[in-house]
Amino acid sequence: MSALTGTRELLDSWVLEPGTGKAIELLRGQILRIEQIEGSQCVDFNCFNLHDYKEYMHTGRTRTLYGINPTKGHFMWSAPPRERPMAYILEDTAGCNDVMFPRCSAYLYESVYGFHTHTNCHDIQSEAQREYGLTPDDVHDSFNLFMKTGVDANGRMWIDRQSSAPGDYVEFLAVMDLLAVPNVCGADIMKTSNFAIRPVRLSIYSATDDEIASVPSFAPLPSQRTPADFRQPKIKADRALRKDPAYKAEFANTPIRYEDFAVPLSAEDYALFKSLADPRYGDDEGAALRDIVFTWWHERFLGK
Amino acid sequence: MQEHEVVLKLNQQQRELLERTVEKGVATDKTELVRLALREYAEMHAAGRITQGYAGALK
Repeated sequence: MSALTGTRELLDSWVLEPGTGKAIELLRGQILRIEQIEGSQCVDFNCFNLHDYKEYMHTGRTRTLYGINPTKGHFMWSAPPRERPMAYILEDTAGCNDVMFPRCSAYLYESVYGFHTHTNCHDIQSEAQREYGLTPDDVHDSFNLFMKTGVDANGRMWIDRQSSAPGDYVEFLAVMDLLAVPNVCGADIMKTSNFAIRPVRLSIYSATDDEIASVPSFAPLPSQRTPADFRQPKIKADRALRKDPAYKAEFANTPIRYEDFAVPLSAEDYALFKSLADPRYGDDEGAALRDIVFTWWHERFLGK
Repeated sequence: MQEHEVVLKLNQQQRELLERTVEKGVATDKTELVRLALREYAEMHAAGRITQGYAGALK
């Protein structure tokens, strides 16, 4: 972490103009505040491990843990096999974020609206991170700040108008050195930002001792692998895919082998089992009891 | 009392999880663990505490 202090220090600040984004080095222990100036502006956000761009924010992991609308107290995680907390949401005054929708793209605006060129989050992200040598293929699905979303009864995703006000902000506290890439969402013909594109303010602060201490910690696990653990650690430098003639598959825990495990049940327990057995298993009593055992395990040890 | 035998097919990963659970002292062995699971599952089911098992529980 950076030098511990009892008060925050403002290290840098920018206004992110409509149609733009910015790649920012956000070191461990620093805070990035993304703040509304006029209000109602969606901001797409992504981040990379500053020292290894192959470790990047994974909305899927974040979505799995916290649902589709993360907020204060949640983490942005990196993708497997790294799967580490990257940034902690220290504050969120609007409570209106999304990790369900992908970034908007040029194709969306051309195919649906007929634009030859239109501001879009993919291309803005791409242009911002180009400063660090990253390509358009290195843009990943975004954490969408100030974006009101949900899922209807038919499973269809929706976006609605939002109500963030001037001064509303989200703060990320970096728990590793990051390249953070926020951008003003380019969608001005959708409800996302109430049919406009407006500037937002970015500020970098050093975190206080108390702020750093407020971040929950996770014990590292061997499954959180790094290139040092990879059988193929080199980043592929050419585009075409070619078979490695020396390749030998080494899938973990294979072959998967099933063995019979007989469990005697009393007449009473058997009757209880039959009353609870999921009918989808039909006459397969073993599958039905296995379902009960592992469902119980989840409820007993992971249930809320 | 008449007993009924139910045969579960478990792979090595499933067996490992049950064995580690036994090692924690939850039950004396895997057979007792399955019986315990059945009874506690019944209580959870009766109390409406069986959730849809969403992955958020994994945090």
